[in-house]
Amino acid sequence: MAGIEAKAIVKNFGETRVLKGVSLAVAPGEFVSLVGPSGCGKTTLMRIVAGLETPDSGAIEIDGRDVTAIRAADRDIAMVFQSYALYPHLTARANMAVPLVMRRLDAARRLPWIGDLLPGTKAIKAEIDAEIRRTAELLSIAALLERKPGQLSGGQRQRVALGRAIVRHPQSFLLDEPLSNLDAALRVQTRKEIVELHRRVGASTIYVTHDQTEAMTMSDRVAVMMGGEILQIASPREIYLDPADLRVASFVGSPKINTIAAEADGDGAVRIGGAPTGVVAALRGPLTFAVRPEDLSPGAAHGFAARVEHMEFLGEALLLHARLESGGESVVLRLDGRAGAPAAIGASIRLSADPARVFLFDAQGKRVKSRLAGSPQRAWSALEPAHG
Amino acid sequence: MADAVAGSMRTRTMPLGEGAAAWLLSLPAVAAYALLLLLPTVAVAALSFTDFELGLPGFRFVGLANYEELLRDRGFAISIANTAKFVALVTPASILAGLGLAMLIEAGTRGRAFFRAVYFLPVVSLVVAMATAWQYLLHPTIGPVNAMLRSIGIAGPNWLGSSDWALVSLGLITIWENAGFNMVLFMAGLTAVPRELYAASEIDGVKSAWERFRLVTWPMLGPTTLFVTIITTIRAIRTFDTVATLTQGGPNKSSELIVYTIYQEGFTFLKMGYAAAMTVVFLAVVLVLMLIQTRLVERRVHYG
Repeated sequence: MAGIEAKAIVKNFGETRVLKGVSLAVAPGEFVSLVGPSGCGKTTLMRIVAGLETPDSGAIEIDGRDVTAIRAADRDIAMVFQSYALYPHLTARANMAVPLVMRRLDAARRLPWIGDLLPGTKAIKAEIDAEIRRTAELLSIAALLERKPGQLSGGQRQRVALGRAIVRHPQSFLLDEPLSNLDAALRVQTRKEIVELHRRVGASTIYVTHDQTEAMTMSDRVAVMMGGEILQIASPREIYLDPADLRVASFVGSPKINTIAAEADGDGAVRIGGAPTGVVAALRGPLTFAVRPEDLSPGAAHGFAARVEHMEFLGEALLLHARLESGGESVVLRLDGRAGAPAAIGASIRLSADPARVFLFDAQGKRVKSRLAGSPQRAWSALEPAHG
Repeated sequence: MADAVAGSMRTRTMPLGEGAAAWLLSLPAVAAYALLLLLPTVAVAALSFTDFELGLPGFRFVGLANYEELLRDRGFAISIANTAKFVALVTPASILAGLGLAMLIEAGTRGRAFFRAVYFLPVVSLVVAMATAWQYLLHPTIGPVNAMLRSIGIAGPNWLGSSDWALVSLGLITIWENAGFNMVLFMAGLTAVPRELYAASEIDGVKSAWERFRLVTWPMLGPTTLFVTIITTIRAIRTFDTVATLTQGGPNKSSELIVYTIYQEGFTFLKMGYAAAMTVVFLAVVLVLMLIQTRLVERRVHYG
């Protein structure tokens, strides 16, 4: 089984620096998501891994072999395109046959009529047919094999594209936003199916998406990409609970993490509008205080003052939107939906953040070490971000 | 509220029904079509049953006499045969040339606009104006074409003057004209081929340019090719100006094409009724040809 490694990949399109020295290592059989907003360079990185694009500098290794100079057709990778890129004039069966025919039949055997006369062609073709049937059954598209892409629904087309990719048992598997053209219900279902498929096929997989939910739910590890750089590569749990960068913290989680301007005084005690937060920073001066909606609670006696602006009842949760009186930031609280509203709209409340769940970031958005007020100095490490 | 009701009432009490409105809206197009296409065609068909001659007062209904004469007319038969040969040479050659040029220019990175303009020039240059140039180029003794052939030891033929070569020469000139036109159509077709399909074929292990052409380019160009084939066939069948300016159908009717024959019967010999009969036969042949072509090819063409 092959691992995929991208080493210090740089790519410029004219003046635009698309990738600024990106490195990414995917262990054999691992499922890694590349997630980021559109235009962050994730698709370019994937196309470079596939061999469809040449990097300006850097190297690609697959299974320990440097493939930077090798063309895509020789890299033994499979790819599912966002548009599926099925050959519209071929049936689903013929579409799935292309990668096998191209690799197993030489040019002479591919010739119409004449090829069939050569010894062995029939046997190879029968084998190809059997493999298509097996893959089609795995994806439950066996009944659709004689249809052309134009006669298939979006979800069925996507399965055929998956089938074309896995039919030849690739060692590495690249998926470029394969769910973005499906409707919401189908997307959730297909998400699960792709993960199960990956478990069965076991290929090293890079999955490009702009959807943080897909990245979090499907992957072994998530690489958050922004502005041509990977900000953090870690397990979904770590990305959520221990973000290394403010942009990572903001990108992951819904509703978005609350960010509040704060100040660390001479002792490092972090205050918001003068009110203590129970967190001590390893830095003095202004910083960003970030806390997830579920870690913010109302009704504290000496929390920071806010005014309730809006409420959204979701059933299991109640989202309470409030505006801080100190800095005017808008914050969201995620409360238990069954408990009822703690205050009316327009009412003043006091909020407090669970100090153990607070992230501090410096002016550049990098994580700042912090500890609970009153805890010993060596507790710094408790909330220290795990880099690399 | 009252306004809205009044508004909807007003729409409902429109003086015209939906069908009438549709007819009214398509009236200009229908009128133009009837006046400029249908009516002349019917007039020609009607004339073909008469002995009408330009300049003579009055005409007689002669029934199928003109058509009977056509069957016995050796000149008409030669003209039809020449046209068939001409189309068989010009259509495939100018389609292949256009496709080849389009793919070469698309594959290149530099000078696209330049090459496109160069190969499109013959389309905008008038054959009537180019006739002198062609006559000089193809002149048996002082022409550069034969001079070039002589320099490599080949005695060039009398391109426009020998009955073996005149039709071929006209064909080559028409190919030269059509290739640029077809090239532009194919270039438009090529830009419509999704880039992702080429990427997918590369991932699928397609390595040679020929395989890529067979798997992606050619099938995706299907609709364009169908259109180009029909247009080129029609253009080849209707060739008139090259014949009129360069050979006048000669020598010995060897380069006489159908439209030129019709023109001569009608406007040189002034036998309008007879020319009309030729036109009707010509129209019928073209229509049947188009029908067959479309039916045959359309079944195999994939529309995106």
